[in-house]
Amino acid sequence: MKKRRATGTFTRRDFIKGAAMGTLGMALCGKGKAVFAGAGEDAVPFAAETPQSVVVLIRDERAIGAGDKVDAAVVQEMIDTAVQQFSGEADAVRAWARYVHAGDTVGIKFTRCDWMRVHTDQAVIDAVVKRVGEAGVGKDKIFAQDGGLPVAKCTALINVPSVKVHTLTGIAASMKNYINFTPAPSRYHAPSTNLGEIFLLPEVKGKTRLIVVDILRPYFGPGPQINPLHRWNYHGIIVGDDPVAVETVCLNICQAKRNLFKGEPWPITPPPDFIAAADKTYKLGTSDPAKIKLIKLGWDKDILL
Amino acid sequence: MGQSQIPEKEKILASFPLRKALPPEISGWKTGREDQVFTRDDVFDYMNGGGEIYLAYDFQFVWVREYVRADEPSIVAEIYQMSSSEDAFGVFTHDTDGDEVELGQGGIYGAGLLRLWKDKIFVRILADRETPEAKTVILELGAKIAGAVAQEGGVPGLVKVLPEEGLRPKSLRYFHTLISLNAHYYLANVNVLNLSPETQVVMARYEREGSQARLLLVEYPTVERALDAHGRFVEIVLLERFKAGREAPPKKLEDGKFAGVVRSGRHLILVIEAEKKSVLEWITKTISQNLEGQKL
Repeated sequence: MKKRRATGTFTRRDFIKGAAMGTLGMALCGKGKAVFAGAGEDAVPFAAETPQSVVVLIRDERAIGAGDKVDAAVVQEMIDTAVQQFSGEADAVRAWARYVHAGDTVGIKFTRCDWMRVHTDQAVIDAVVKRVGEAGVGKDKIFAQDGGLPVAKCTALINVPSVKVHTLTGIAASMKNYINFTPAPSRYHAPSTNLGEIFLLPEVKGKTRLIVVDILRPYFGPGPQINPLHRWNYHGIIVGDDPVAVETVCLNICQAKRNLFKGEPWPITPPPDFIAAADKTYKLGTSDPAKIKLIKLGWDKDILL
Repeated sequence: MGQSQIPEKEKILASFPLRKALPPEISGWKTGREDQVFTRDDVFDYMNGGGEIYLAYDFQFVWVREYVRADEPSIVAEIYQMSSSEDAFGVFTHDTDGDEVELGQGGIYGAGLLRLWKDKIFVRILADRETPEAKTVILELGAKIAGAVAQEGGVPGLVKVLPEEGLRPKSLRYFHTLISLNAHYYLANVNVLNLSPETQVVMARYEREGSQARLLLVEYPTVERALDAHGRFVEIVLLERFKAGREAPPKKLEDGKFAGVVRSGRHLILVIEAEKKSVLEWITKTISQNLEGQKL
């Protein structure tokens, strides 16, 4: 009998041993810990002292009211505070001016998902559009869209995804949000390992100035269609500029929520191996929680991290 | 799972019998946009990125109606026509979170979403958000559809060979292909078990002797394909040398749990994540006996 184990074959056992794709072993091991197998025993996730990437998470209890209604004013305030923190500027408009300029044509790429209904909330889109405009970009040079965004025309992109666990890719946040920049999105579904290469397409590469994640009402269930039991009000906004680090934070929040919901490990599947590939193969950022500094602002009840 | 001929969309819209089961108005909700139909060819227009899960079964078409009412959430009723009751059952088992309701041959409701199956029909009715009135209407619509389906259909034969003792009923899944397996349980980045539209798979979790175990039972169209998958699992996952005709003993893996596989004709009985070896052996032995008894 010839040997059947071929190069490039990864099994569940490899992930559990941490031998496959570095960082995702704990998700499959399912011990309820952070998705964190790539670092040493003593490293504390998301507390890097000399971080490769910084991610800001802000939460506000007032962001969602009765009937799951999102409060636009509170959302604007959250985004302003988070971007100010991330940029180090004391003023919101000056903070945004560090990322976009009058000469830019700006694509604000949000997530619109009619069938699954986990969209980027309009309040988040409006808040970003407003600040990009105030930073000096003319209205005629701001394209806030999902499908059909003229990415080739844009000189700058603001990545504004929603967050959901996804049947085909494991998780869908800042990385998968760019999937429709390619003419063949289905190439990046099951397996989705190469999702990172979209960020290296000539019309996309180097244009992402900021990531503003709507994690107000994320989705942690298996999909492919929504089960309202699997959506929860997390009341959060995440800001960063490293799509891999941002995705890693989102993954950990969703994994923790799944375990909490079932009262036992409920690993995200298929494992989102595109996150580690985006780090190791495409060099888009870091998926190692030991190299990420997560700044937490605001409401900390049930923060899950 | 052989794919059958699907009628044209216009014909479905005009003559789909279950259409008549749904009223144009119910408790103040009226039909919204025009009824729609999506087939295997354009299901992605309806659920981009989500169609694969339905295409992994012999899904024929989905008929969609929207109900709207001022100051209340809109309600969307979807009726999925499958080519077999086994596949309607399979789609129903994809997500079992919610409370059981007595509708059709199985129903689950939670937070404004009803799912049920009966014969070759799978139904999904969802409100934008749950209100007491919306819940009542959703359950009424479900009852009307279930009542209009004339007969009941059979569940997959494989389900009948599962031992009931220790079975966690809500963990039961029935499917055919790798894409469904990956949605529920990740085994590898390759198709170790040679799953295809022709294979039938039942997955379930067991609790016995104070311990847990996971079962994957696969039926192949031929003994040869079962044998090949047997060898692949032993060599790729258990990392043991495979010799046809010689059973590989259960193996303790890195997570401290046992994994093992037994072939019975066209069937592979795989038990993984077993916390006790004795439970693994009990499951494989019981199912082997049941398969023999049922002559599957």
